[in-house]
Amino acid sequence: MAQSRRGILTLGLVLAGGYAGLKFGVPAVSNLFAEDFDFEPIGKPAGFRKITGGGSTAGFDPFFGLDDGSDAAMQALVADVEQRVCDALYGDLSGVADVVPLASFSDYNCPFCRVLTQRLAKMEAAANGRLRIAWHELPLLGEASMTAAKGALAAKRQGAYVQFHERLMRAPFQTTPEYLAVLAEDIGVNESQLVADMESEEVRRELQESSALAEIFGFIGTPALVVGRTVVQGEIGEKGLNRLIEQERADGPIEACT
Amino acid sequence: MNFVKHLLAWSVLCVAVSGVLPVKAAQSTSYNSPALAARLVTVEDGIHPGSRTVSAGLSLTLEDGWKTYWRSPGEVGLPPKIDWTGSQNLLSAEFQWPAPTRFRAFGIENFGYEKAVTFPIQLIVQDPGSALNLKARVSVLVCSDVCVPLNFDLALSLPPGTGIDQQSAEEVAFWVARIPSDGSAADIELRSAAYADGQSALVVEAAHPSGWQDPDIFPELGKNTAFGAPDIRFSPDKKLLWARLPILARSEPPTPLSITFTDGKSATTFSEIGIGSVPADPPFALVPPERALSMVAWIALLAFGGGLILNAMPCVLPVLSIKLTSAMKMAQGSQRRIRFGFLATALGTLTFMWVLAAIVLALQSLGYAVGWGTQFQNPFFLIFLILLLGLFAAALFGIFEITLPAGLTTRLAGLGREGYVGDFATGAFAAILATPCSAPLLGTAIAFALTGSSVDVFLIFTAMGVGLAFPYFLVAAQPGLVAALPQPGRWMIVVKIGLGLLLLATALWLFWVLSAVSSSELAWWVAISLIGTILVIAAGRWRGSLNRASFLAIPIVAVAFVMPILIAEDDRAAAQDDLIEWITFERAEIARHVSQGHAVFVDVTADWCLTCKANKTLVLERAPVLDALASPTIIAMQADWTRPDTRIQDYLEANGRYGIPFNIVYGPSAPEGLPLSEVLTPGAVIEAFETALGGPIEMSQISED
Repeated sequence: MAQSRRGILTLGLVLAGGYAGLKFGVPAVSNLFAEDFDFEPIGKPAGFRKITGGGSTAGFDPFFGLDDGSDAAMQALVADVEQRVCDALYGDLSGVADVVPLASFSDYNCPFCRVLTQRLAKMEAAANGRLRIAWHELPLLGEASMTAAKGALAAKRQGAYVQFHERLMRAPFQTTPEYLAVLAEDIGVNESQLVADMESEEVRRELQESSALAEIFGFIGTPALVVGRTVVQGEIGEKGLNRLIEQERADGPIEACT
Repeated sequence: MNFVKHLLAWSVLCVAVSGVLPVKAAQSTSYNSPALAARLVTVEDGIHPGSRTVSAGLSLTLEDGWKTYWRSPGEVGLPPKIDWTGSQNLLSAEFQWPAPTRFRAFGIENFGYEKAVTFPIQLIVQDPGSALNLKARVSVLVCSDVCVPLNFDLALSLPPGTGIDQQSAEEVAFWVARIPSDGSAADIELRSAAYADGQSALVVEAAHPSGWQDPDIFPELGKNTAFGAPDIRFSPDKKLLWARLPILARSEPPTPLSITFTDGKSATTFSEIGIGSVPADPPFALVPPERALSMVAWIALLAFGGGLILNAMPCVLPVLSIKLTSAMKMAQGSQRRIRFGFLATALGTLTFMWVLAAIVLALQSLGYAVGWGTQFQNPFFLIFLILLLGLFAAALFGIFEITLPAGLTTRLAGLGREGYVGDFATGAFAAILATPCSAPLLGTAIAFALTGSSVDVFLIFTAMGVGLAFPYFLVAAQPGLVAALPQPGRWMIVVKIGLGLLLLATALWLFWVLSAVSSSELAWWVAISLIGTILVIAAGRWRGSLNRASFLAIPIVAVAFVMPILIAEDDRAAAQDDLIEWITFERAEIARHVSQGHAVFVDVTADWCLTCKANKTLVLERAPVLDALASPTIIAMQADWTRPDTRIQDYLEANGRYGIPFNIVYGPSAPEGLPLSEVLTPGAVIEAFETALGGPIEMSQISED
């Protein structure tokens, strides 16, 4: 009996000691396990980079624009956006001290995009303003993707982009008035405004600019991310993404955007 | 349709076997991307003057991890498409769809193909005997963790002539055989299809005279209708299949329903199905399987052993000690008194176990699955235990004595059973305290009980109670054992204070659990309430009016129980100070990580789970497991069950567990997961990693080179 009690007391002490050690001692140790990234510049646009060896995206043909409007108009838009990449990518999110801007490009028919959007939204909410996300739509996967993208951008104008995504996690987007009415109520937006925005010139313009950005950055598909000055396509994982964001924060404001 | 299909398959095969060896392969140059290689193939080497049909195929070879989609891709995705514009001498082309397989990626249901697929294409030429120039503009969506829409051109020219490309013929024939046959000709009989639960699900019943093997069901009801994962059940002889398919979203207006059944290599599509409104009843309710008697006996033995071991656990030890202390006091008493006293204690333990069994059965019948240890997610339960332990500790420190009200004592004394109620309560208290210390053996037994029949539940809880009460039974059988205890004296005060400290330590631990489960503010309020109660009772005792003081204590105790309603829960911040870089549990993510060749270590834990803490400190956060978890090929995923979480509960249930700790390792060689035992050992964890990865663990130091 005495023996077993001593054993239990020892175990209790070990547990208590271990806990105290963890609580007050060595939070820095976990950083020792993180590897550093190796970066390499991407050809275009200047000042941006990618992770060496990261992702499984090498070897694909780069993406070419939407079949919307003439090629000449698209070329003109690409040339125009190239002059103001940071603005088109991040709007006014870049250039703020200690804030890492992140641009997300997604498509409704891409399974992993759904997961990633949720994850990014959570990360942004948890970062207390130190991570800001610019949501772009890159509807490459057919007509349904395009209408859903318009819906998302229209919802974004009423601050309900993430809610729109969550609402569509399990149900395809439809353009029938009944569906839109229910959707608008679910995500708490004004329905007539949503419908009007979906077909607005502003939303069309935004889609085209995102598409031009995709061409400039040479994205091959969705999802695609630009974290600060680093382009990410393919798997990076939550851990890797967090580490990349911290790396970007440490590297300071994006030179190409100042 | 079925007939045509077989004819086609046979003719292709016959020609293939009898044909002369090809001079040149009837296939286009290959389009290559990192995701797939694509070719256009034809069975015929040339266009025969007497034949207008050409059997072709779009052949896709997908790299590991890449997938493409069926004509109904499921919740997301896009089927492949070919635009034949620019072809010469082509009248029509019919694209055909081999039966798909189901993917569950990121919690999303998808239907499609992986590794390789050849879509058979029936071409009809305009002018037999003339050359056919095929120009195919192919659009294929391939997805892994990125979705890449591929658009490419494939060209193939067939001159006039004869001859068969044997390789292409075999390839096309193989995939033609996988095109679902038409329902009217199949041996499968679709009995009924009907909406259930207000059109929120589709219930299908189909019979297969030679028995179902491993079927899957792919319904199509317009492109905007999304179905969830099917619940498929069989009649006992496996000839009747019943399936319930949740409808996640509906397209308006609905299009005619078609359903494709796949089973092994065979597949059948029923189209234009009329949908009824009376769903078929399932062939059986999901009742737990009958268990062999030997199995039940073995598990009951485990439960008994588990109950016995619980006596040595920190949470029960103090109660056992209280009992023995009181036994010492009555060592002078009669054998009969000791014997019945200990029997009462044992009965108290058993009664609590039976009450628990009854609650479990009641909840089970209401459709709840009950988790072991989850009572610790309930702040009220925690407050109750804290107050009880605190008062007991105070009593042991001699601040006051716990006695039954005088009137009750007198009455009980009159019956000659003084103190039996106290003995009974001690037993019940021991059983209550035992629940968090779900020892390894116990976890297995309880999981078995919760999935079993009511007899199983009763048996196992009883066995556990007998195990827990075994020391009391022992004394009851041999009251002489008490006499073997040392005589009372000064040392008893030391023992009392020692036991008081143990109880206090348990209470402090519960404070910590309470602050994790709810908020630290609440824990402080409960502490204040406890101290207040003790002071009031102590003051009352010193002034000699214990009963009135007890009444004064009631409102103070009540405060503690009202507080959880008034105080909002803290945000539960993820522990940032872990040695291990945990990612938050996301069931859907597991499959994705595995598809990338990683092993995933899932740890379901909670602040109130002592075994979990022991695992963490003694195994997970020590070499070699700590080093393995830092490896880039191993993902450490933690599910924190400190507070109620249905997702985690569902996950545990899916794995047949009802308590924690629960650890499981997934990997490319073990996609279904390798569950680990409750108490981890470094060897078992590392072995599971290696089995799951199908090889040794790649350490981060090595991978950086």
